[in-house]
Amino acid sequence: MSKIQSRRKFIRSITRYSLGFSLAALTGFSLGKATKSEWVWQIDPFKCTSCGRCATDCVLNPSAVKCVHAYDLCGYCDLCGGYLEPGHISRDTAAENQLCPTAAIERRFIEAPYYEYKIKEDLCIGCAKCVEGCTAFGNGSLHLQVRHNLCTNCNECAIARVCPSDAVIRVKAEVPYLIKGGFTPE
Amino acid sequence: MPEIIKTAGDSIRKNIFLLTGILLLLLFIVPGSASAQQQRFPMPEFQTGYELPDTDRPEPRAPGMEIFDLAVLVLVLAFTTWLVLKRRSRKLVFWTSVFALLYFGFYRNGCICPIGGVQNVSLALFGDGYILSLTVLAFFVIPLFVTLFAGRIFCASACPLGVIQDLVIIKPVKLPQWLQRTLGLIPFIFLGFAVLYAATGTTFIICRYDPFVGIFRMGASFSMAILGVSFLAAGIFVARPYCRFLCPYGAILRVFSIFSSRHMSITPEECINCKLCEDSCPFDAIDYPNDEKKNRATKADYRRFVFYSAAIPVLIIAGALAVSGSYKLLSKVHPDVYLANLLVEDPGMMYESDMTEIETFMASDRTLEMLVADATEVQSRFRRGGYYLGGFLGLLIGLSLTQQVTFRKRTIYEVNRGSCYSCGRCMEYCPVGKPDHPYHKEDNNNHS
Amino acid sequence: MLMDKSDNILNRARFIAVISGVFTALVSILLIFNYVQISLYDPLDSQVMKQMVARLSSEPGNEELIREIRQMDLLARRAYFNSLWQLRTGAALLLAGAITLIVSLRFIHRQDTHIEKPEGNNINEKQVRIRSQKWIAATGMIIILLAVLSALFSSNHLRQFDTERLADTASVDEEDGIEKLQISSRVAGDDPVGEPADEPEEETGEVVETISRITMADLNENHNSLRGPLGHGITPHSNLPLNWDGETGENILWKTEIEVHGYNSPVIWEDRMFFSGANDQRRVVYCLDRHSGVLLWEREATDITGSPSVPPETTDDTGLAAPSLTTDPYGVYAIFGTGDIIAFSHHGERLWARNLGVPENHYGHSSSLITWDGKVFVQYDTAAGSRLLALDVADGSTVWETPRDNDISWASPILIEQDGSMRLIVLSNPNLDAYDIDNGEQLWSVDCMSGEVGPSPAYGGGLVYAANEYATMVAVDPSDGSIVWEDRYYLPEVSSPVYHDGYLYIATTYAVLACFDAQTGDFIWEFDGEDRFYSSPVIAEGRIYAFDTSGRAYIIEPGDEPVLVSSPDLGDPIYSTPVFADGKLYIRSNTHVYCIGDN
Repeated sequence: MSKIQSRRKFIRSITRYSLGFSLAALTGFSLGKATKSEWVWQIDPFKCTSCGRCATDCVLNPSAVKCVHAYDLCGYCDLCGGYLEPGHISRDTAAENQLCPTAAIERRFIEAPYYEYKIKEDLCIGCAKCVEGCTAFGNGSLHLQVRHNLCTNCNECAIARVCPSDAVIRVKAEVPYLIKGGFTPE
Repeated sequence: MPEIIKTAGDSIRKNIFLLTGILLLLLFIVPGSASAQQQRFPMPEFQTGYELPDTDRPEPRAPGMEIFDLAVLVLVLAFTTWLVLKRRSRKLVFWTSVFALLYFGFYRNGCICPIGGVQNVSLALFGDGYILSLTVLAFFVIPLFVTLFAGRIFCASACPLGVIQDLVIIKPVKLPQWLQRTLGLIPFIFLGFAVLYAATGTTFIICRYDPFVGIFRMGASFSMAILGVSFLAAGIFVARPYCRFLCPYGAILRVFSIFSSRHMSITPEECINCKLCEDSCPFDAIDYPNDEKKNRATKADYRRFVFYSAAIPVLIIAGALAVSGSYKLLSKVHPDVYLANLLVEDPGMMYESDMTEIETFMASDRTLEMLVADATEVQSRFRRGGYYLGGFLGLLIGLSLTQQVTFRKRTIYEVNRGSCYSCGRCMEYCPVGKPDHPYHKEDNNNHS
Repeated sequence: MLMDKSDNILNRARFIAVISGVFTALVSILLIFNYVQISLYDPLDSQVMKQMVARLSSEPGNEELIREIRQMDLLARRAYFNSLWQLRTGAALLLAGAITLIVSLRFIHRQDTHIEKPEGNNINEKQVRIRSQKWIAATGMIIILLAVLSALFSSNHLRQFDTERLADTASVDEEDGIEKLQISSRVAGDDPVGEPADEPEEETGEVVETISRITMADLNENHNSLRGPLGHGITPHSNLPLNWDGETGENILWKTEIEVHGYNSPVIWEDRMFFSGANDQRRVVYCLDRHSGVLLWEREATDITGSPSVPPETTDDTGLAAPSLTTDPYGVYAIFGTGDIIAFSHHGERLWARNLGVPENHYGHSSSLITWDGKVFVQYDTAAGSRLLALDVADGSTVWETPRDNDISWASPILIEQDGSMRLIVLSNPNLDAYDIDNGEQLWSVDCMSGEVGPSPAYGGGLVYAANEYATMVAVDPSDGSIVWEDRYYLPEVSSPVYHDGYLYIATTYAVLACFDAQTGDFIWEFDGEDRFYSSPVIAEGRIYAFDTSGRAYIIEPGDEPVLVSSPDLGDPIYSTPVFADGKLYIRSNTHVYCIGDN
C-alpha cells in the first residue's frame, strides 16, 4: 500500500470516527428531549373557532376530523343550533331545515321536548357548521375531533399548518382525545 | 344571558325557544364564538329511562406497533446489508425493496420516515418544548449508523420514496457530469432550509413538499399529485430524480457513506477492467479509470485549489451575512410573522378584513403587541439561524469548488461511495467469479 | 422456434403496455376532469341551494319550492359522495394501470437489453471540471445574490412597529442597574384542556417577570401619573412645541379618535400611552403607541367580582372614567367610578382586578391613582367610609388601608419627598393630610379646607399648597403641618395649583391665571385667558402650559411679569391635563388624543 493510500485510509477512518461520535452525541442530546410515548394530533375544542379548514386541508378526503358529540354536555333541545338552519321553517328533519350539508346528524325523539343528536361519522366531513351553531347558542356539546381510526398521523399535520387558532396540538397516544364534557354546572 | 337562564330554572324552559331565537339573532349580529364552556341549557332529567350514549373514541394504532415498525426497519437494513456485502444478489435486494415499499409506503402511508425525522430532531434540539418520540429518533439515527458501516443501504431497499422511483427506472439517460454535480448541491441547500424552518418552529418543508406520500396515501392535493406523478414520469429516464437532486436526508447519507467502513463493490475480487459495468448504473455512480496524463492536475489547478481554499472563509462570511440579512423574507412563512406584518402595515385590516386568520386573531386574547413581540422573536431566530445556514451554504459551495480541482488517480472501475445507493445493479454485470457469465463465453469465442 | 416464442411474449407485453398506457391516461384525464368539476362547483356549497333556502324564508308556504330544495339537496349530496367514490376508485384504477404499465415496460426493456460491451464513454474530465466549477460558482453567486436582493427589497413592517423600542427597553433596564425584585405572575394559560398536564418535560410553570422599583429617574422620563412626576405638575422634558394649530394641523403629529370618552388625562410609560374611557355599558382601558397614535390594545374591565351590574349615577361633567391611570414598569392601573380597579401589563394582559365598593359620590369618583415603591395609592374619599389604600401592584392585594374621617373629595393625591422618604399628601374637606407610604400612618393633618374639593395639592419651595374655590388657599409646612400663610384672592375650582421657582400659579374657572409669591402668599400678577380653566397648568421648560376649555393653550414665560410666548388654538374643548414626553405634548379632548411636536 502506497504512502498516499495509507494516509488516505487514516484520514477516512478519523473522519468516520468523528462522524460516528457526533451522531452519537446528537442522539444523546435528543434523547434528553424524547419520550417513550407516541404522539398523535388532536383538536383542542376550546381553542377551535370552527373555521372550516379541517374539512378542506386534511390530506385525507374526506377529512379525518369529524364532529363528535359530548352527550353529557348536550341540552337535548328541540331547537338545536347545531342541527337546524338559522332560518328554518319548522323544527324537523326536512332538507330545507338541516344545517349539515351531508345530513350527517341524526335527530331522534327521546321524550317531550327532548331530542338526541347523533353524528353519522361515515357521512360527516368535518366542516364544523354544526359546531359553530352549537357553540354559538348551545352548550357546545358538538365539537371537532381527529378520529384516530382514520388519521394517518402525518409528521406535520396539514390542518395544524393552517389552523388559525393553533387548536391542533400533539397529545400522547395514551390519551388521544380531548372530548368536552364531564361538565357540572356550578 | 346564560346567567339569567341558569337562575331562572325550569319555569323558563317554555320560553327557551324564544330565548334561543334571540340568541340566534345575536349570533348573526355578533360574529365570533364564545369558546368557553357554558351550560346554557342544563341536561334534562329524563323520565323515560333514557341512558346517555357514550362518545365513541376509536383508538390510534395499537401501542407497541411502532416497535414493530422499528423492527421491520432494522430487519430490512440488516438483510439488505447482508445481501449487498456478502450475498451480492440484486434480485433479492429488489424484492426486499418491494416489500419495504409495500410496508412503509402503502401500508404505513409513508409516515414517519427518516427523511422527515431530520425536522423532528432539529425542532427538538433547537425549538423550545418540542418533545420527540423515541421511535422517530430511532428512525432517524439507525439508517445513519448503518450507512457509516455499510453505505447507503437505506436508500437501496428501506426507503419507500427511493424504491418507488427505483421501480420506474426503465430507460435511464446519462446526464452531463457538470449538471449532476451542480444539481447535487440542491439536497444540501434543501437540508439547510429544512433545518432552519424546523428549528424555528415554522413548518416541516420536507413533509410539505414530499411528492410521493400522496401516492402512498392514495390521495393528495391536486398540485402535489401532479408533482408526484411528474417525478415518477421523469424517473423513467432520469433515475431517482428526488433522491439525487432533492433528498435532504440523502445529503447526510452521502457524507456518511463516503466515509463508511465497508461498502458494496462492483466486483467481488479484483477488477479486470472489462468495462461491462460502465453503463450499468442508472445513477452515474461508477467512477471510471482515468488517464493520468490527460487529467492530472495542472499548475493552474493547483493555483485554483489554493484560491478556492482561501475563498472558503470569505464564502462562509458572505453567505452568513447575506442569508441572515434575508430573514425578513424567509420568516414570512411563519404564520405569526406573516400576520403581524400584514396588521402592522395596515392596522385597519384588524377591523375590516374577513381573512380567517385576522378574524381569529381579533377574537383571541392576543394583542397586536403580543403578536408583534412573538413575530419579532421568530424573526430573531431566523436571523440567528440565517447565519448558520448562510455559513453552511458558503462552506458547501467552497468545498464543492475545491473538489473540482483535486485529482484522484483511478485504475479500476469503482463505485462512487457518495452517490451509490447500493442497489446492486452493477454486481449483475460484473463477470468476475461468474464462470457462466456471457463475457467469458464471448472471450472464449474470441480466442477460438 | 424459440425466437418465435419469446417474440410472441414480447408482443403480448407490448400490447399490455399500450393498453395499460391508454387506460392510465384515460383514468388520469377522468380524475383531472373530476377535480376541475368539483373545484368549479362544490355541490355542498351550492349558491343555487342558498338562494332557494333564502327564498323559502320569504315565502314559507311554497310547497313547490320545498320540493325543489329537497330534490336539490339529494342531488347535491349524491354528487358529492359520487365524486368521492370516483376519486377513490379512480386513484385505485390509476395505480393498478400504472403498475401494469411499469411492469410491462420493464419486461419489454429487459428483453431488449443484454449485458454487452459498451461502446466506450469518452468523458473529458477536464472539461467536466471546468464546467462544474463554473456552474457551482454560479449557484453560489445566485444564492448570495438572491439573499442580498431579498434583504434589500423585502419589507418588514414589524421594524417600524416595535423592534427598536423593545431593544431600547431592554438596554435601559440593564444600564440603569435598577434594583429588581422578582414577582411571579399568574400562570400563563388557564385553558381547562391543554397538552396533557402530566408531562414532566413541559415547563408550563409560572411565568416569572422582573419588575423594577421606579426611581425618580424613571418618573422624569415617564409621565406616569396625572400632572407628571409625583403629581407636581412639573415636567423635565424639553424641545417642546410652542406653536400649533388645530385647524391647519400645524405641528399636530397625529390625532387618534377615541371611541369611549373619559375625562382622565393620559399617562405614559416609555412608548406606550394609557388612558381610559367609560360609559354605562363599557369600561375600557386604551393603550396607544405614543409615536404613531396607533391603538395597540383596548381592554374592558369586565368580570370583576363585586362590580355593580348597574353603574352608579354620575354627572356628565365627571362620568365613570374621571380618574387618571398610573403606570410603572410592571403594569398600568386604572380605577373607574364603579369602584373597579384593574391592572394590565403593558402588553394588555390582565393582571388583576378588584372592586373597592361602589363609591358614594354624587358627581362620580375622580381621584386619580399614583404609584411608588410597588404600591398603587387610592384616595377613596366617599360620602361614607372614606379611606386611603395602598395596593400591591403585583396582585392588587391591600398592603395597608387607613380609614379617613372626611367628606367626599375629587382631588388627587400627590407624593412629596421629605427627610429621604416619600409621603403621600391628600386633600379633602376639611383636611390636608400627610401619610407614611410604608404603613399608611397619618403623619399630620391640618383642618384648613371646605367645600367640594376639586384641585389637588401642589408642592414646592419646601411648602405644600392647597386651594379650593369658595374656600381658601393655604401653604403648609410639611415637616409639622403648620399653616405658613393663607389667602383668598384668587381660587381655583377644578384646576390644580402648580409651584415653580418661588412662585405659585393657579388657574380659575373664570379664565384667570394668577401668580403668587410662594413663600408669602403675596399676589403678583394675573393673566386673562379666553375661557375657563379646567385643565391644570403644567410647568415645562420653565414655561407655563395652560389649556382653557375652548382648547386654546397659553404658553407663558413666568416671572414678575407674565410674557405670553404664544397662545395656539387646538379648536377642540380641553378638560384634561397635558402630558409631555421627549419634545412632544400630548393632550386629550373629549373625542381625540393629540400628539403635538415640532415637525
